[in-house]
Amino acid sequence: MSVTTINDVEFGEELPVFDPDTSLENVIRFTEAAGWRGSRFTDHAAARKEGLPGALVPGIMSQGFLAAMIHRWAPTAIITNVDTIFRAPVIVDDVYHINGVITDVDLDAGTVEVDLTVTNEKAETRVFGTAAVQLPT
Amino acid sequence: MSDLADIDALRAEFLNKDFDVQTFVFEASQLASYALACGETAASYTDPEDDDFQAPPTFPTSLQPKRRLPEGFPKLPGLGMDAGKAVAPKLPIRPGVELTGRTHLHDIYRKTGRSGQMTFFVTRMEIYDPNGTQLATADTRVVIREKPTAQDDT
Repeated sequence: MSVTTINDVEFGEELPVFDPDTSLENVIRFTEAAGWRGSRFTDHAAARKEGLPGALVPGIMSQGFLAAMIHRWAPTAIITNVDTIFRAPVIVDDVYHINGVITDVDLDAGTVEVDLTVTNEKAETRVFGTAAVQLPT
Repeated sequence: MSDLADIDALRAEFLNKDFDVQTFVFEASQLASYALACGETAASYTDPEDDDFQAPPTFPTSLQPKRRLPEGFPKLPGLGMDAGKAVAPKLPIRPGVELTGRTHLHDIYRKTGRSGQMTFFVTRMEIYDPNGTQLATADTRVVIREKPTAQDDT
């Protein structure tokens, strides 16, 4: 269900799972838009030469995935804060799932807090985030 | 540089003093491409023709200062890693508007974990429009993991 006002939100509610596009083509598009060019993000072989398991999805892109997930769940949401902790690398072309859960609701203020995790196919958390969101009352 | 007194000295000398100022201008197509790659679907982030078109809310964390740390800041032993980023959007960032990013060290602190002592630096960029109105803050947390000394092992 798409959320439009604070009254549509329940404490403990889980957001619809979002599987972000971590393909090399999309990461290259992102790095060009962000001005974050570097072979560790856009070339698996070059990244492996640096000792990495493969090309990395930039942390700022993972953060962008979290915000996109919130907007997909609540198109009217205004995000006022996103804090992201990078626990482990997110690898280009691997499959990831983003889960979110509502951890606080203030009906009077129209604000919610959301915990977000980016996990891989082994259910290992790679990125953890918290977001503060304003919704129409 | 391994005791808390040193951290206090660094805090006293370096916190909350701007050490880098950059200006930025972004085209609408660049902002839309950033949003689309992240999976945004709202027209206000993806369609430059939308009346409310703006940068996606996490865009400020992509802005980088030229200097990572203030001039004269001591080099700490250990490997530095990007530990996280935080963004607090306050007002929309629009294409074609000159932005000024002013960067300072916002916090320095130490934690002890299973792998030893870690020192964290929080660098904050405050982003302003040409009128001096603050549009966002973007924090970068860098952690330096120190190798335990023989004395620490006893």
